[in-house]
This record gives sequence, C-alpha cells and structure tokens, in this order.
Amino acid sequence: MIVKAQDFLSFLIKCQKESLGGFRQVIVPRKSRNPEDNQQLFEEINDSTEPVLESYRTIDPLRALFYFSRETLLPADKGKKRLIVGAKGCDMAAFQILDKALINEDFVDPVYQAWREQTTIISTDCAEICDSCHCTLVGGKPYTDQNYDLNLSGVGQHYLITIGSQKGEELLKIMKEVVDLSLPQGDEIDKIKKNRDAVVVKLNEQNSRFSRSEDYSALRKSDIEGWIDDSKSCIGCGGCTNICPTCYCIIINDDSTGEEFIKVRSADSCQLHGYARVAGGDTPRPKMYQRFRNRYLCKFDYMKSNFDMIGCTGCGRCIDVCAGEIEFREVVQKNMQLPKVQE
Amino acid sequence: MAQTNPYKTFAAEIYEIIDESPTIRTIRVKPEKPIPFRTGQFIELTIPNIGEGPFTPSSSHHISDKMDVTIMKAGFVTEYVHKAKVGDRIGIRGPYGTCYPIDEWKGKDVLIMGGGVGMAPTRSLFLSLLQDIDNYNSITFLVGARTPNDMIYKQHIQGWRDIDKVNILRSVDRVPEGEEWNEEVCLITKLLSKINIKPEGNPVVVCGPPIMMKFGTMDLLKYGYADKDIYLSMEKKMYCGIGHCRHCVIGQYYACKDGPVFTYDKVKNEENIWE
Repeated sequence: MIVKAQDFLSFLIKCQKESLGGFRQVIVPRKSRNPEDNQQLFEEINDSTEPVLESYRTIDPLRALFYFSRETLLPADKGKKRLIVGAKGCDMAAFQILDKALINEDFVDPVYQAWREQTTIISTDCAEICDSCHCTLVGGKPYTDQNYDLNLSGVGQHYLITIGSQKGEELLKIMKEVVDLSLPQGDEIDKIKKNRDAVVVKLNEQNSRFSRSEDYSALRKSDIEGWIDDSKSCIGCGGCTNICPTCYCIIINDDSTGEEFIKVRSADSCQLHGYARVAGGDTPRPKMYQRFRNRYLCKFDYMKSNFDMIGCTGCGRCIDVCAGEIEFREVVQKNMQLPKVQE
Repeated sequence: MAQTNPYKTFAAEIYEIIDESPTIRTIRVKPEKPIPFRTGQFIELTIPNIGEGPFTPSSSHHISDKMDVTIMKAGFVTEYVHKAKVGDRIGIRGPYGTCYPIDEWKGKDVLIMGGGVGMAPTRSLFLSLLQDIDNYNSITFLVGARTPNDMIYKQHIQGWRDIDKVNILRSVDRVPEGEEWNEEVCLITKLLSKINIKPEGNPVVVCGPPIMMKFGTMDLLKYGYADKDIYLSMEKKMYCGIGHCRHCVIGQYYACKDGPVFTYDKVKNEENIWE
C-alpha cells in the first residue's frame, strides 16, 4: 500500500494523542537541535516534532529503547505498548543477536522480552548515509528485510508500505481507518529498488578503502603490538560500547527492601577497568590495550561463536562517539593484515 | 510470558555460623523452600540491600532443605557475610551452571584437589561422593592452604579419614611461628608425588586460586591425566548467572552457563583461562 508522507505523520500524532491502536507512546527520529551536530535522535512525538524518517540511522541505538541503562528485573518492569518508527537496517540486524542472547531456551530477560512484545516497529529505508556508515562492509544493507512489523520505503512524497508481521498487519488496518491508502501504481517497486541500489553504491564507495576479508579469526592471531599502538588514544570511557546496537553487558545490583527481593540491572562496559574484576582484586584484563582488544574479539570472534553472527552491524556510531577519534574500520582492517604470530 | 523470572530469589535463614579461619567462614542456611542442586553448580547469594555474588555450596547435593556456603572475606558483599549473625535473612537464587558428572565416575579412583577456599566447592563434591561411596573404587582428597590457621574444615578431617576407601593428604605452604602442624609442608601440587593412582581413565577435580589451578593442571598432565579427565572449576565474575551479563565470558564460553565446571580439553585453547 501507498501512503502520503503528510498523512502518515498525522496518523502518528493521532496514535500518540488518542492512544489509537492502544499505543501509549510513539517514538520517532528527529534532527539534533544543535545545528553543528549532523545527527538524529529518538524522541517521543509531539505536535512540534519534525520526524526524520528516511535519512540515516539515529545516534542513539535502537537497542537502548529495548534495554534501558537501568531497569528493575525483579519484580520485572512491565513496559508499555508503543510504536517505534524509523528503525534502520543496522539496528534491526542487531535484534538477531539481542533476541538470541536475552530470550533463549535457557533463560529470558523478562524486561527485554516485555519491551519486544509490546513494541510495534516500523522500519524505514535509508535515503542517505553518514561518514561512519558501513553496513555493507559487514554484509548488511541500508534497509531491512527482517524483524520489522511494517517497513516504509520512500517514493517522492509517499511511502510504500510492506507488511512484515501479524502486528504490522493489524497496525495497517488501524491506519486504513484514519488515512487514505492507495494501491501501488506499478513502477514504485522499480523506483525503490533504484533508491536502495543507489545507497548501496554510495556505501560501497565510501568503504572501499576499508575492505577486508570476512575471516575474522585473523584478529585473534594478530600481533599484540598492533593493539597497543591502536589503543594509545583510547581513554577507556566506554562510549563505544554504550552506543553499540549489539552490546548488552550489564551488572546486577541488589536493591532489596524489607521483605521483598529487588534486582536491578545497569549498563556496563568491558572498556572499564573494573569490568571483570573478581573479589580479591584480580582482573583478567588490567591493561587498556587488553580491554580495547577484547571489544574487537568479542564483536568478531566470541559473538560469532555465540550467535552465528558477528557483533558489528556497521552503524559506525562507535566512530562518531569516540573521544580519541579512533577509526574502528581502520583498526579492524589493519589488525587483520598484520603478520601472523606463531601459534 | 509463561517462563518464570530467572532472577526469582528465595529467602533463607542463617541457623549456624562456623568461623573456619581468620578470613573464611561457613554459613549454614535454611531456605524457605528446598533448593535442589547438583554438586559443582553455584548459586547467587543475596545480602539484602547490600549486594549479591556467586558462591558454590559446600554441602552435599543430597541435602536440599539446608545448605552450607563457605565464604572468604575478599570484597564488598563478603565483608557483610562476615558480619552476619545467626537468624539473619539472606536470599538465594539458582542453582546455575554445570555440575560434576559423578554418575559417570562409578568404579573409578576419584582424585580431588582443593586449595584454600577452593576446598569449599570440593567439599560439596566430596560429601556427595561419600553418600554413595560404594559406587567408587577410592576417593583421594588433596588439600592445601597457606598456613595451618588458613586450613578449613579442621574439625571434620579425622572423621573423613576413618572412612574406608578415603585418603586425605594435606599440606601447607609454610608454618608461621606459634602455629602447629604435623602434616606436609609443600605446595599442594607436590602431594601428587605421595599418591599412587593410575591416571588413565580416572577423573581429577581441581579448584583453588588461579595460580594453583594452572600449575596443578600442568602437573596433572605430567602425571599422566588426560585433558578430558581434568575437571576445572572456573570461577569468574558471574554477575547474572544466566549468560546475559557477559562478564564471565571465556572466549566463546560463558563460565556461568557452559561452566563453571569445565574439562581442560574444552577450554585449553581459550585465552587467559588462568587469570
């Protein structure tokens, strides 16, 4: 189905204001208010919001809306029914890791699961890219073909709507009652394919200088001197992990009061010194370069073993956020090319 | 959302406290409902409003309505364990992780090495084995501590030694002035030269400080034990216990879910396993 961009926006505001579809919150990307800052971020929609639905990914990862920096696990926070619009391919790909990690046959994170179940996601194709975007370098795409409920692809002042799930189908029914939807004229599919291909070409051009093999086992074997050198400007702030769509490390704290046991989880970062420290003070990675290297191995090696997918979806946020101006793509490429040390 | 909350915590009351050494104490607790576990598995123990941490019970897995947990004063939460009094209420969630496959050890000569507070989990194993001692050919327990005063479970040793098919050897690293000791003075790994077990096909369990685990494993390999027969209790920072927090990751494995009991052949190619 096709919807006018303007109609779609008024539908979103109606959802937010009148709890249409039972949604208690509608979240969209909007431009940063700092004119020097060429970024988008997620915000609850209101009358004055100007959503930026196509463009490229937000600076805050979608993960942070499903796995907040601090939540109560026992008794478990319940979440609320909401609609998130403007999710990008890189963020959607991260669900392949997060869902396996946090909702598996052994144990379920009750709060993450509640947010997943209560959220309807409308993803949108990327129409532009930013300097750090590199989804195609890690096998991703600037649009999604999985996990979405509805997907929007921009065609002029319209969106082509694709249904991805039962939830999406129900949402479309509600939309039909409020705004005019029309049938595609026939050439939209071609136009969308052209748009998508054009963005892929841009991404490939931008990232050709970072090209590398897909056999990331080389990283584990690379010379330690390379990591020491690359980590020199790292200040260990943990910004890269906090903003990563696939990082989900947490600590558990006890906030029990009286008779009730209360367990709270908070975000943690493997870049921080105390991360893996055990009682008695020993830590397996006391040096900054060890923690720096650990992040790369976790993404490209450990997560690959754990989830059959590398932990980088190419969003490039860690590059944008780095206080030490470390170019993630360059570090990966360089350490995969270093002479191998004897095993 | 039929699944139960994995963080569900049960109350337990401390009914006895045994100070084993200046830094190690055993708290004996009665949980509000039985907590069945298999020896080698661990629990998360809560000191309400203070924190929680992973500990391996030191009592037999044949008992589930009571539990002993032996804890060394080493950090924030354990400080409070050492301030606890009889009658205090704590919390327990779990059990989590893998156990020692003792059903596969029937007819075998079982060797156990416990160093320092690492004797706590191995006491659970030892007591669980004792329950069905007829199943095993022999049980040898090598125990190490820094000094005689650091040696734990002193009051039980003679009783255990009197049991047929049980052999217990103990060593301390040194004997400070004023302390008494009439058993071995050497590193625990040196006790291997004083036993006579055929290593082929027999299991050995190692639990202790990282340095002892490392050199213990090297010596056991020299002694003739196979990689797959060396069981290591790899204790890491297991915050959540359920493979979600990633703090205990050892390469591709989670110490909390794939361990804490690992055979050496499984982890030997991972990095920093002894740290």
